[in-house]
Amino acid sequence: MKRFEALDDLKGATRDAVVDLLYRLGDDDLIMGHRDSEWTGLAPILEGDIAFSSMAQDKMGHSQAYYQMLHALGEPDPDKLAFGRKARQFRCAALACLPNDRDWALCIIRQFLYDSAGMVRLTALCDSTLTPLGQLARKLRGEKKYHLLHGRSWILRIGHSTREAGEKLQAALDRSYPFALGLFEPTEADEPLVQAGIAPREDELRKQWESAVAPVLIDAGLRVPETAVAVTGGRSGRHPEALAELLKNMQMVYSLDPTAKW
Amino acid sequence: MPDTQWPIFEVFHQQARGEPHVHVGSIHAPDAEMALILAKEQFARRQACVNLWVVPVEAIVATGYEDSDIFDRATDKSYRESWGYTTPKTVRAGDQKGSKP
Repeated sequence: MKRFEALDDLKGATRDAVVDLLYRLGDDDLIMGHRDSEWTGLAPILEGDIAFSSMAQDKMGHSQAYYQMLHALGEPDPDKLAFGRKARQFRCAALACLPNDRDWALCIIRQFLYDSAGMVRLTALCDSTLTPLGQLARKLRGEKKYHLLHGRSWILRIGHSTREAGEKLQAALDRSYPFALGLFEPTEADEPLVQAGIAPREDELRKQWESAVAPVLIDAGLRVPETAVAVTGGRSGRHPEALAELLKNMQMVYSLDPTAKW
Repeated sequence: MPDTQWPIFEVFHQQARGEPHVHVGSIHAPDAEMALILAKEQFARRQACVNLWVVPVEAIVATGYEDSDIFDRATDKSYRESWGYTTPKTVRAGDQKGSKP
């Protein structure tokens, strides 16, 4: 299959599809990263607090890398993309938008579901015909692996502790699973990306993800919500109100003076 | 005051393969595997790291400070130190030729 050694080799519908993909990847990580950062100072234990804060920095770094690629493709610069857009211009899945509500079970389950999806996706992108994207995927995979390990270790321990803890974890799983399925919402970019060998089809990734998460959830004593229906809309800019609230908070300083030099 | 949190693990950090593991601090965790996961962000987020060890604090057997006089040297033991010797000229000449170890 033809390889795209540089971003400039992308033309027409393929180029548009890559832009769409990069928005989805970058926006998921930025918004998820912001949610992780909201645990700073609030996590149940100091060590957990530091871990979430560091992972927030990792995820924001990943989003910055995707935004830099977007910028190279003619989109606005990373700061503008993160801080200068309105909710409807974002392409993140609703999973990242869910408020933390100081609910540790929810955030740990969400982290596990989200980063499992990220791992499946990055692993697939390592073989992308778009060379710079494959290189980036290989670079980001180490941090992603840690995030997954963190989420997995927590749910296995919570799942095997008290009955109350197990019930809270199950409730969190039942609530977040339909949103996690929304990470694989198909878009019009699917076909051109698959044709060019740049990224796999979303439903293919979903299958890989389902077979990756199920054994761990079962190990933790949980029931997999097999009949759950995906919450979609995020990939076309339809988001829960929570995203607008998050952005108001995240963009507060930037909006005071978007032209300020830092 | 008794420590009411999780058990303590001592953390040892290795900067590169072959280098010694250096004690960098301690961490609370419910078990050893979780201690490794949490120690990674606590102690390996700023400096290079290729490997971490965690050891339950109870596993460490230590001397008492009240006995620290056992380490005092009653007599001159400078012969144990490398600087305690004067290097013969012939050896120094060998060094300068860049003899391989």
